[in-house]
Amino acid sequence: MSFLNPLLLFAGLGLGLPILAHLLNRQKVKRTEWAAMQFLNRNVRVRSRQIRLRDLLLLCLRCLALLLLVLALARPASRDGAMSWIPGEPRAGVVIGLDASFSMAHGGEGATRFDRALDQVEVISGRIRPGDPVSVILLGGEDKVLIRNMAFDRERFRELVQKAQPVPAGLNLDRVPRRLRELVGDMEAPQKEVYFITDVQARDWRRSSARFQEALADLRGDAEAFMVPVPGVAANLAVTELDLVSGTLRKGTTARYQATVKNCGTDPVANVEVQCRVEGVQIDSKTIPVIAAGASETVSLFVPFHNAGPTRITAEITGDLLATDNVRRAVAVVRDRVSVLCVDGSNGDAGRLIVSALLARSDGARDEDYLVRSVPWLALPSQNLDEVDVIVLADVPEITPQQVGQLSRHVRQGNGLVWFAGQNVKAAVWNERTASGANPLLPAKLGPLVDTSTKLGAGRPLDPAMPDHSVCLPLRSLPEDLFSETRFLTRLDVEPTPSSFPILSLAGSGAPILLEHSLGRGHVFQFTTSADTDWNNMAQTPVFPMLMQQIVTYLAGREFEQPRVVGDSLSLSYVEQPDASDAVFDTPSGDTITVPVREHRNQFVAMLENAREAGFYVARVSVQAPGMPVAVNVDPGESDVVSLTASELNTNLEGIDITVAASDAELAAAIDTNRTGRSSWRQFMIAGLALLLIECFFADRLRSRKQKRGRQPDPVPETLTGAQDA
Amino acid sequence: MSEHLPETNYLDPEVLQSLGDLELVAREVVEGLRVGSHRSPLRGFSTEFAHHRQYSPGDAIRDLDWRVFGRTDRYYTKLYEAETNFDCTILVDASASMNYGSGKVSKLEYAKFLAASLAYVVLKQRDSVGLSVFDSEVRAYLPPRSAMGVILQIDKLLREVVSTPKTSIAQQLHDIALMMKRRSFVILISDLFTDVDDIIAGLDHLRHDGHNVVVLHTLDPYELEFPFKGIWQFDGLEGEEPLTTQPERIRDDYLASFGEYMEALKEGCVASHVDYTTIDTSRPLDAVLSEFFHLRQSTLNGPSAARP
Repeated sequence: MSFLNPLLLFAGLGLGLPILAHLLNRQKVKRTEWAAMQFLNRNVRVRSRQIRLRDLLLLCLRCLALLLLVLALARPASRDGAMSWIPGEPRAGVVIGLDASFSMAHGGEGATRFDRALDQVEVISGRIRPGDPVSVILLGGEDKVLIRNMAFDRERFRELVQKAQPVPAGLNLDRVPRRLRELVGDMEAPQKEVYFITDVQARDWRRSSARFQEALADLRGDAEAFMVPVPGVAANLAVTELDLVSGTLRKGTTARYQATVKNCGTDPVANVEVQCRVEGVQIDSKTIPVIAAGASETVSLFVPFHNAGPTRITAEITGDLLATDNVRRAVAVVRDRVSVLCVDGSNGDAGRLIVSALLARSDGARDEDYLVRSVPWLALPSQNLDEVDVIVLADVPEITPQQVGQLSRHVRQGNGLVWFAGQNVKAAVWNERTASGANPLLPAKLGPLVDTSTKLGAGRPLDPAMPDHSVCLPLRSLPEDLFSETRFLTRLDVEPTPSSFPILSLAGSGAPILLEHSLGRGHVFQFTTSADTDWNNMAQTPVFPMLMQQIVTYLAGREFEQPRVVGDSLSLSYVEQPDASDAVFDTPSGDTITVPVREHRNQFVAMLENAREAGFYVARVSVQAPGMPVAVNVDPGESDVVSLTASELNTNLEGIDITVAASDAELAAAIDTNRTGRSSWRQFMIAGLALLLIECFFADRLRSRKQKRGRQPDPVPETLTGAQDA
Repeated sequence: MSEHLPETNYLDPEVLQSLGDLELVAREVVEGLRVGSHRSPLRGFSTEFAHHRQYSPGDAIRDLDWRVFGRTDRYYTKLYEAETNFDCTILVDASASMNYGSGKVSKLEYAKFLAASLAYVVLKQRDSVGLSVFDSEVRAYLPPRSAMGVILQIDKLLREVVSTPKTSIAQQLHDIALMMKRRSFVILISDLFTDVDDIIAGLDHLRHDGHNVVVLHTLDPYELEFPFKGIWQFDGLEGEEPLTTQPERIRDDYLASFGEYMEALKEGCVASHVDYTTIDTSRPLDAVLSEFFHLRQSTLNGPSAARP
């Protein structure tokens, strides 16, 4: 037998009090000499012994009643076995872990996996007794405890569970045993049962670590563990990507987006139509003739921008079993015009090459709303930077502190800066003025020149350090031989700041060629090589115009153009300390979340820790301010909804003492077989109270008898008046 | 009980105990009773005037009432109910049980004051008073005398007594009866903690010898009310087996047993024509005596007065 509140057993020490009082009273016997012993005769002596016996009986009753009450409060619990003779009733605390990842919304079998999971919850709840503790946790994303340690009430439980919905996030399987164990630990019950109802998504189980297996085995030590699989068919299409491939986000232009659709199922799917919508209006549609099982197909979607401002773009497929991943969202902040200023510190080649790369068009047409110009570096002080979106500093020898401040403020306001190295660059001056302080202007501190040529005298080729970065995306479409034509002979050795990261590097050495870091609401790109052909041949290859145009598109964009994934944080940066102390985020479902503005590393940031919904959030610097839409998509990895087969599941659970119940009947039978814990506190409480009542009844009866005697006239006559009677 | 009595500051037994001199105690008690009384409350013990009759030759000349002769020129003789001195014998129980006292004054002490006071009263009436002290046997006997010094002898006798448990009171009363030469007024002061039949047998013996018997049943208030609380061990003064108990739980049984005993005792006294009075030792002695004499006065025609 065990006790759920063992500390309360110390209250049993209180039993010693009445016994101690009894013994102390016995010690306090007063003595007197007595003349009238003839009246303390045999009857009185017998009665005295009866009284003592009765007192002892009452003491025993009282102690036993107290003992039973203490035991009841300590919540005795037992399992079938040697203590089965103790009266009790079968009781169990139940923890139900419900997989609520969005794969559970897959409706391949008439009902969604989640609905079938709820049916299993109904089977489990049918065997929970009223008053038993029950907890339900929705596992997925942040994991939400739906019910915590609630005394089971069938109607209330059903009402709460029916409100549960899958979340647009994946399942962290490694975290599941820990979360379930936490809930088990919070629970007090003679027997604890844990049910994990999941679609046993193969993707999750393949990624699970050995620690998951160990944690699951440990969980068994705390509770009876049941695995309830609700697998489903694998068929599922998902739009996994929607990216801007080319084009500048300007009013009157058309950008090319690329949507990728993946067939996660085991059968090929034909005629998949991908619709592109801008602000909810369909503007393009493409049909993919067939997608092989497990393959992804990409379609290009052309998005014309007729208006300036933030624009919501979606790529969507229909008719799929899992709707959550059928939409991919992106936001384009369309500008009226884009202006690039190239500040040339070289002999003129760098500026010319950069302007040529930025203005390179397939049709050769010049666009009035896309202004690219080059000025000598000495003319920089006379330029009005407010009208410039992106500034390119190419081989600029040095810079004044005022100019550093001017450029820094320019970037913080949401604009971009690109910096090229070159022969004229005075590293010491740049390091002193731009690479020091808490928020340096450049992503890296400049070092000495490094010869990167090979033994044969050829330069080293380029390698994308972050292939998924927007800047690298168009490069991925280049043929390998064309891409490897770019060679670098010389570069500056640099010391990156902690907040920077490399985007492009040299093949082989990994030395950074292009670094990025964010500053305020803008970004700074730093090339460790030159824009002209002295140190490389980059400007002579197709890589350079693609790279430069993509950098300008990227830098001309706004903070939230990059789509987020559910679970990511959404941060809103401020140029200066804002008037409003709170920022506001409107969720896709229409809720409003207020987030305080905090100072972080000399910058003011409002951060929404966790985007829980998929869709378009709207971020505002204040309640009245215009909103900036933010696209939040689901994790495409979760779209692989293939479930483990029964044999695969058994293999995964090999060596773990966990009961797998694949059907309603199996689940019901498993519960009935394994539930052997019994709670006896109610019986102990009833017995204790009954004994107390008996004790009170006896004591009261004795008292009333005594009072009755007390009301009778005193048998002793008054002194002296007796003489008169006589 | 004392509603009919005048407002009096009675003497506390403990105060009397502090006086030490028994004669002084007796005087204090008795003289206090006499103050303000128009008529002596002590009538009943004395030889009483009965009536006049005409003188006939042979009558004692000293009995002639000269005042009546002066008024009427006729000789009348005064007739009295008793022509001899009145003998009073006080029997004091000095057995071990009399040593009990819940307060500072034991029953024996109280009995001593009582005996001395009664002796003082008798002596004041110029009658004779004697004393007998007994426990398991007769320890001392002092024949009736009319000298005031007898009070001191009473004190001395009671001091010298070493208490022993009494076995049978009848035997002692029988022995005392044999010692008394004349019919006497016998006052028994005792707690009478023995068998009722034995007591009645002893009293019957005294009555059979023609003695006028008054029983002053001297009891401690704790014996009357048994007001103990808590757990007590009662050690018998006369060698009984001790008893440890919760007195308040057995009080009813004690009082019932005690009541039966008292009832039997009083019935026995009535049947034997013995005056019976319960004396509570917590009460002031003078108040007790006052009430006692008042009752005596109102019962002069009672059973004991009918057979002097």
